[in-house]
Amino acid sequence: MAEQTIDPIHQFHIDRIFEWHPFGIDASFTNASLFMLIIVLLAALLMIAGTSSRSLVPGRLQSAAEMTYEFVANTVHLSAGHDGMRFFPFVFSLFLFVLFSNLIGLVPYTFTVTSQIIVTFALAGFVISLVIVYGLFRHGLHFLKLFAPSGVSIFLAPFLILIEIISFLSRPISLSVRLFANMLAGHITLKVMGGFVAALLGAGAYAVIAPLPLLMVVILTAFELLVALLQAYVFAILTCVYLNDAIHPGH
Amino acid sequence: MAKEENDDDLRGRLDSLSTALDAQQKASQERNAVTGQTEEAGRSLAKAMNLGFRVLTEFVAAIGVGGLIGWKLDDWLKTSPLFLIVFLAIGTAAGFWSVYRIASQPTGGPGGSR
Repeated sequence: MAEQTIDPIHQFHIDRIFEWHPFGIDASFTNASLFMLIIVLLAALLMIAGTSSRSLVPGRLQSAAEMTYEFVANTVHLSAGHDGMRFFPFVFSLFLFVLFSNLIGLVPYTFTVTSQIIVTFALAGFVISLVIVYGLFRHGLHFLKLFAPSGVSIFLAPFLILIEIISFLSRPISLSVRLFANMLAGHITLKVMGGFVAALLGAGAYAVIAPLPLLMVVILTAFELLVALLQAYVFAILTCVYLNDAIHPGH
Repeated sequence: MAKEENDDDLRGRLDSLSTALDAQQKASQERNAVTGQTEEAGRSLAKAMNLGFRVLTEFVAAIGVGGLIGWKLDDWLKTSPLFLIVFLAIGTAAGFWSVYRIASQPTGGPGGSR
């Protein structure tokens, strides 16, 4: 038990709950899958329960649901324009998934799904694939104008196009790494600070200064709450910005 | 006679009540100003940290992608380390370009379109 409280990485360990290996692929139901299921159920519950009463004067749950809806709708409308609203369901689901997984991760003894880079990379890869597929579907080869800056001399153009392509390819990586790194670093810091409290309490006379890291844990928890909200928002707004490129590829 | 006394009494109570109310209002305003300031400071700190982190990840990711492309090209064409160097340079340029694009955005909303 003492080992567990000191090891800050243990919280990210994936345990298989049900073993399942169809065709040699490890598709076991893990604690990560369990928490994804919980996230989806909670998000669905908030929306279904929040919109079921439909009263003119909203209650707590209904106003939470309505505020989330309006917030995301405004974000999409502002950064992707009127045409971007067709992607609203996608961005809204993405935002809710990231938000709930960040928030649930703050509860002790839970598993933070977004602290696994494969999860955030899958989300970001899905966003970028959607941008490419929709851009090509809607604009055909005109979509490739995205990579060609206008008004550049012909000698400089290949170089700039290469730069634009690399900059485009780095988007899913920066999008996923940002969310993953924020959640991972925050949770490790919290755990290390919590470990300090336990270690100081067991260190005889030094137990006097044990409240200091405890205070730090309290402050950091509030900060992590802010980070959790902010990162979900940033993920959603950058998705909108990238989708905007697919909708209006010209500069 | 009794009625006038009652009026005086009432007026006195009203005065004391309004001064108390004024004091209360002033105190709550001050309190709001202080918490508003700290809230504002916290929000701007979070915004600044967020922007810094965005710049960092964009920059590093562009260099990483450039390096990866160069490495794989070298692996494939057996020209090590020509393409690694070239694409690292291009990736760095792309990183600067991304950072420039973030910095040159109008300050209206975080991450508006270009």
